[in-house]
Amino acid sequence: MEFLNLVIIFITALLVLRAPQRERLAFRLLVTSVLLMMALFLMATRGSWLPGLNY
Amino acid sequence: MKRERLYTALSIAVLVLSIVPIGGAVFVLGFARGDSPCVMCWEQRIGMVIVALVGVFVLRYGPKPKYIGLGVLVSAWGMFMGLRHMSLHAARDIGQGFSIEVFGAHTYTWSLFIFAACVVTMGVLLLALKDGDLAAATRTLRPLDRIAVYVFLIVVAANAVQAFASTGPPPYLGQSDPIRFSFNPRNWMWSTEEWSLAPGSLRGRWGAEKPRLAGLNADPAAGPLVNLAPLAVAERRSLSVPLRGTPTGLAYDAATDRFLVTTQQGVYSLDGSLRRVLRYTIVDSGFSIDLDAFAGAAFLDSTTVMAVSQNKSYVVLREHDGADAAGNFRYFLESFDKFDEVSRSRFTTVRARMMYTMSVAFDPTTQSLYTITVPNSKTHRLVVSRFDRKDLTLSAEFMPKLQADSGLALGGQSRSLDELYVTAATFADSRLYALSAAYGTLLAIDPVRQTVVAAYSIPGLSRPTGLARRGNDFYILCEDGTLVTVGAPGA
Repeated sequence: MEFLNLVIIFITALLVLRAPQRERLAFRLLVTSVLLMMALFLMATRGSWLPGLNY
Repeated sequence: MKRERLYTALSIAVLVLSIVPIGGAVFVLGFARGDSPCVMCWEQRIGMVIVALVGVFVLRYGPKPKYIGLGVLVSAWGMFMGLRHMSLHAARDIGQGFSIEVFGAHTYTWSLFIFAACVVTMGVLLLALKDGDLAAATRTLRPLDRIAVYVFLIVVAANAVQAFASTGPPPYLGQSDPIRFSFNPRNWMWSTEEWSLAPGSLRGRWGAEKPRLAGLNADPAAGPLVNLAPLAVAERRSLSVPLRGTPTGLAYDAATDRFLVTTQQGVYSLDGSLRRVLRYTIVDSGFSIDLDAFAGAAFLDSTTVMAVSQNKSYVVLREHDGADAAGNFRYFLESFDKFDEVSRSRFTTVRARMMYTMSVAFDPTTQSLYTITVPNSKTHRLVVSRFDRKDLTLSAEFMPKLQADSGLALGGQSRSLDELYVTAATFADSRLYALSAAYGTLLAIDPVRQTVVAAYSIPGLSRPTGLARRGNDFYILCEDGTLVTVGAPGA
């Protein structure tokens, strides 16, 4: 999934560089990448979402 | 600052972020040294990539609020990821971490620092913006901007190569404990172990509830140990002295024939009849180290007492008639001139770390303090911790077993001493006596052999919180102030 996310990021940057008129699509891909990154991190830490420390 | 200078600064920031942490991670740590990120490291690295990508967006489209907002959001999330990841390892012994150390810190620690630096950088660049800059239009990239974007693309492509090799295509994803990176496909191991629909937890084992006596089954017949010899109650009466709070602990000093009673915040010295308060104080538990509700207390000598709280923090008090009341204002809430505070600190445990305690006992012969855990919904273990009086540091820790020749037996394979809920303890006759409020069971533990050598039932006990040995009798103090006296076994 990390590979997929990096591919999305690569395509997004290419769009910004080569086809700046596709700004809306690029931004949507950017948001998708952010959500995917957040979701994967939350899944990896589902045992304890917050840092395992005293509060 | 002129707008073009601002874009120059942003291009340099994108270059630095792409080359140093992200490029360094993939080319130096990954391709050169074989480091393979764990799943959390991957998300942190991708978070940095996204922050750099937001910079690319601003280079092309100007500092639109949605890009700035996303940059701040991802950086803040990155700081959270770094903190969450660091918390797994930060409190371990010196030098112990996970994966590669870079300039004295492990990568997840650097991640926290880098995301913080991103936030600071964005703040500085925003400060330099002028009114009207937010409505910027699509820009033509200058050579420096193009270099920044191309470098970014090269670094992202390299990361994609590493991600394909070490995590695989979808649905495979990063692993919690990855293997060494290799360009050789024969060494690639892709995994879906992190995929899970299991419900998450906010704090995991750290979300353990505080100890509480309500709801415990006091019937010895329902306990894990069978055929226990009962101890007969010799006397039952009410503690008649006024206390601030409910009793939480009891100790006895034979040299001065005095008892020590604790409440949630109070420390009371009582005469041998338990009918008169000789001195007391109410400790300010919120000052300095957080003293949770006291779990119990012990006489360290005839003038020095220690109260230990449920979170294994403690305060050492020395009796002092005419103590400096004004100077003691900072330590106590009442009765400022009866004690001086000697020290206030915390016991550190290993096996007992994720559990609270409700008892403390002191062995004057070996100068050892003992605490015993109470189970919680996350961790169920009966752990005895011993601390040396000299440095108040953990000196031994064990989970007692039944001694083979004791004649004791569990009521089945599913039963365990971990079911006990020890709320009171005392030391006598080279034995650590531990009283469980659950199942009204008194254990006699040999701390040298780390075994339970005897156990007894005490029917009719309701929420005992204190245990002391005076002569041939055990004194048991209950939460409601009931004082129960039972004859010591073999006395």
